[in-house]
Amino acid sequence: MIQVENVTKRYGSFTAVNNISFEIDEGEVVGFLGPNGAGKSTTMNMITGFIEPSEGKIIVDGYDISKKPKKAKRQIGYMPEGVPLYSDLTVKEFVTYMAELKGCESKTKKEKVQKVLEETGLVDVQNKLTKNLSRGYKQRVSMAGALVGDPKVIILDEPTVGLDPKQVTEIRTLIKKLGKNHTVILSSHILSEVSQICDKVIIINKGKIIAIDTPENLENKVVDENSIYVTVEDSEEKMSNIKDKLSQVKEIKLIAKNEDKTKKYIIIGEKNVDLRKDIFETFAKEGITIFEMKKADATLEDAFMKIIEDTQEETNKLNNKEEITKKEENENEKANKKEEK
Amino acid sequence: MLAVLKKEFKSYFLSPIGYVVIGIFLFVFSVFFYLTTILYGTVDLGSLYFYTALYGLIIIAPILTMRMFAEERKSGTEQLILTSPVSMIGVVFGKFLAAMGVIIITLLLSFMYFFIVQYFGKPNLSAVLVHMLGFVLVSGAAISIGMFASSITENQIIAGVITIAFLVMTLFLQDVNSVFANASIMNFYNNFSSGVISLKEVLGLISFTAMFIAFTIIVMQRRKLVK
Repeated sequence: MIQVENVTKRYGSFTAVNNISFEIDEGEVVGFLGPNGAGKSTTMNMITGFIEPSEGKIIVDGYDISKKPKKAKRQIGYMPEGVPLYSDLTVKEFVTYMAELKGCESKTKKEKVQKVLEETGLVDVQNKLTKNLSRGYKQRVSMAGALVGDPKVIILDEPTVGLDPKQVTEIRTLIKKLGKNHTVILSSHILSEVSQICDKVIIINKGKIIAIDTPENLENKVVDENSIYVTVEDSEEKMSNIKDKLSQVKEIKLIAKNEDKTKKYIIIGEKNVDLRKDIFETFAKEGITIFEMKKADATLEDAFMKIIEDTQEETNKLNNKEEITKKEENENEKANKKEEK
Repeated sequence: MLAVLKKEFKSYFLSPIGYVVIGIFLFVFSVFFYLTTILYGTVDLGSLYFYTALYGLIIIAPILTMRMFAEERKSGTEQLILTSPVSMIGVVFGKFLAAMGVIIITLLLSFMYFFIVQYFGKPNLSAVLVHMLGFVLVSGAAISIGMFASSITENQIIAGVITIAFLVMTLFLQDVNSVFANASIMNFYNNFSSGVISLKEVLGLISFTAMFIAFTIIVMQRRKLVK
């Protein structure tokens, strides 16, 4: 349905999106995940044809968005970030205008608008000016604008930002419902949301795709390490050599020193081993008192943080290497010069 | 294009702008009706339309056009238009024609001066229609400048100031150097006010308008490259 091929977007010397490629099939619900400024909105804006990529091409339903923008845009319903609305129009007028912009025929227009208003629960407020609506309703109006005219692809930029918990669940159910007969792309930095709604997650950081996978697989990626949090009182300073006494432990890290002189550690063990019994017995033998022990459950949150940290470390390493090689080169040059002298 | 035209025209009258514009225009018309027609005791309405266009448009053109693109850019609704399957040409013409709609309403209302004069004497209807044609063409040129100004900034006030500055400067700078005379739209209006349609003037105004409409389209189309 959507093919993104080697797309790059540069603003001057700043690269917002760096050579990304992915494909989205018909009927998929895909979530863009990433910290702020990662390039989520830029990518969505490029798919919708609002901005032109500096390099690469985007194909929507077989039409290149740069070469056949009209046909490609007709397939897309877009809810931009920050829900822009025309403040002097009523809800119904706004949705009707969006329908007209999308080229709905005047015969079926009224019906379609009414259907969308019902779907998004806006019938009660249809004659109110959009500027007088609360944030949650504005969001829905913007969504209605995206849905009207039955586009094949629906793109929602942060659809649940700024909503109360009840509205969030309502919007999520609506998105799930849409996912049954539309291709949906949404962006979010709320991870639980993405894991609930989406079939596929695309994680972006600093303009690069760092993972494309199902939410389950992403979670499994982090669960390979088996971590346990313990809070202990260690008056005799025995924690430093406890690792030798626990056979299946890979690493013990101090996380926090509490005010009541207890310390919190994370103990990372081999895969598929429950360390808790071992830890309890060994610690008791050594005279370390356990105040609290908890098995860490990996969530998508962890996956997200871990993947982002990993890629950052890698880039840092690369940068360091480059710096080191540069230094070496400089030193070599200096040495050569000295020799020449 | 029709969708944009309809919505923009409606928007003028959903906000006070449409009424303010028509009100100011009719006020200026009435002032000059007194100063030109009544004080001189003539049935000729040529100078009425000339002076109203000359002074009225300096205020009216920026009010009508300053929010056209600047507001959409600022509030983000630009994203809705630019991602919908409407061509940029359609959007720009839709907005342009909506503003022209307001001007045409004012012109229809200005027929009342014709009827007032007709009560006392015999004004020449075809001459008035020529004045009006000239008025529409000159307004189109002024609106196209304003529209262009609005497309290059997201600040409505700056857009308005650019429009006013252009209209005022071209009016006075021709006294400094005749080079500037070609840039003043009012120089293309002289024959209309004596009731003559001159091809040179008609083409001059139309090409002036077309040029700024084209500029606007180019600016808006370039937006997706630089944004």
